[in-house]
Amino acid sequence: MVAGKEPLMRLVGISKRFGHVVALNKVDFEVYPGECVGLVGDNGAGKSTLAKIMIGYYQPDEGEMYFEGKRVRFKSPMDARRLGIEMVYQDLALLDTMNIWRNFFLGKELVKPVGPFKFLDRDTMRKLSAEFLRGIGIQIRSVEEPVGVLSGGERQSIAIARTVYFGAKLLILDEPTTALSFKEARKVLDLINELKGKGLGIVIISHNIYHVYEVADRFTILDRGVKVADYLYKKDVTPQDIVDIIVKRRHS
Amino acid sequence: MASLMRMNEFGVFVSLLFTITLFSLLSKEFLTLKTWGGILTISSEVGIIAVGIAFLMISGEFDLSVSSVFAVSGMTMAMLVTSGVDATLAFIAALLVSACIGALNGFITLRFAIPSFITTLGTMMFLRGVLLAVTGGFPVKIAGEYPIFNALAGRIVSDLRVHALWFIAIASLFHIILTLTPYGNWTFATGGQADTARALGVNVTMVKFINFVLSATLAGLAGCIALARFRIVEPTAGVGLELEAIAASVIGGCSLKGGIGSIIGAAAGALMVGMIRVGLVLAGAPPYWYSGFIGVILIGAAIIYKLTRGRHIRW
Repeated sequence: MVAGKEPLMRLVGISKRFGHVVALNKVDFEVYPGECVGLVGDNGAGKSTLAKIMIGYYQPDEGEMYFEGKRVRFKSPMDARRLGIEMVYQDLALLDTMNIWRNFFLGKELVKPVGPFKFLDRDTMRKLSAEFLRGIGIQIRSVEEPVGVLSGGERQSIAIARTVYFGAKLLILDEPTTALSFKEARKVLDLINELKGKGLGIVIISHNIYHVYEVADRFTILDRGVKVADYLYKKDVTPQDIVDIIVKRRHS
Repeated sequence: MASLMRMNEFGVFVSLLFTITLFSLLSKEFLTLKTWGGILTISSEVGIIAVGIAFLMISGEFDLSVSSVFAVSGMTMAMLVTSGVDATLAFIAALLVSACIGALNGFITLRFAIPSFITTLGTMMFLRGVLLAVTGGFPVKIAGEYPIFNALAGRIVSDLRVHALWFIAIASLFHIILTLTPYGNWTFATGGQADTARALGVNVTMVKFINFVLSATLAGLAGCIALARFRIVEPTAGVGLELEAIAASVIGGCSLKGGIGSIIGAAAGALMVGMIRVGLVLAGAPPYWYSGFIGVILIGAAIIYKLTRGRHIRW
């Protein structure tokens, strides 16, 4: 399905050690534009380490990384963010005590000059955040609402939408639906499908295959720092197959 | 109505309404311009401190040392003036000393990740000890007239003094900074959830540090105003002011956990403090009731906030 296209991000032979613990051992990974990859594995498999290498939080001990065809080395998450690689954490996404538009533009506030000072351009931020959220299918009543009153799915969707608004090309989502009810998870999955259509690359980290099976095009399975399976296109594999792969290795 | 009730300042407006009604029933003189000039003047010192406390509290930190900074600042200015330093320079020096204490509070709290309640309790006690040791427990008086004194706390008309205007100006300025500038946004975010704010690129440490300095500097300003008004400063000046300022901020809608609050609310809370002081005297009640009355208002306001803010909104 992705033949002929250049991967959005490609990792080759990535290894990472913490002291004597080998967190990742020569892992290859790639994600294409418009594709959603499920990065699956049990606790301690190395999913989070791999994700944190992709966003520049960790530096790999070995291996090469390419973004849009160019070799990249990230010294900090800021380097990765500049290229449009963003991670959305489940618990660090939004501030409950602030309203939607203030959350949306936090740290990247739009300002207008008032004399020698720079004041928040509140009208523009309200308008842009409301238009953008509605534009990608997120139903909100008002951007003045405090985030604390929103449902889990709405919060997750707004957090994702914000990174897209600010130019994310590759989104890494950490357990985006784990804490959500079925109905709430539906909203997030719809948004992910919408973003795939816009050509974004999406990586979903999950320890539960059932949480990513519906939306992922492909799966990469890690176990104790090693990639054990890849390129399992959805038509070739059922969730139960993947669970079997993971469990079998654990007992071998 | 629902959105009115969710306003940060709802509790303090209800309390103000209640207190004004009560005192105007008890005393005919309460609703006069002269009385309100006096109330505004009396509220100003605690009010200026409350503005700083509220700003810092919204960013998620406490400052108990403001009462000692208040005295240290007044004492610094008084001692410099009595030893012949120009009064305006002495005022600036007092503000700088206050700012440095704030910087120290911030540095200790942020560098060692100590709760600011502990840090500032420590500096509060330490500074009070220094004050008593340096002065031997005696007050310092200032003789003579200096223009800076008039600029800080001169009489305008009747009981209304200049620092009432300073209070209004400072409260307005910091209300604007908090609600209309990116820095205000970062202050709310820092107090709301520091980790999230940091993940989104807010320099949480810088915001808190600046707000520590701000809180101490405003307390220092209040100390200089008190000196300019009374021409004397006791080494025990301002004891208990920190709790009055915190009470004013909480009455005004600030959350003890940070992330929620209002400068206008805190200023109105301080106004309430002055109103109760003056009102009790006018009503002929023994002034001993003052503290008790504040306590009732504080708890009443807290209950109103609890009931009106949705269960999703912590405070």
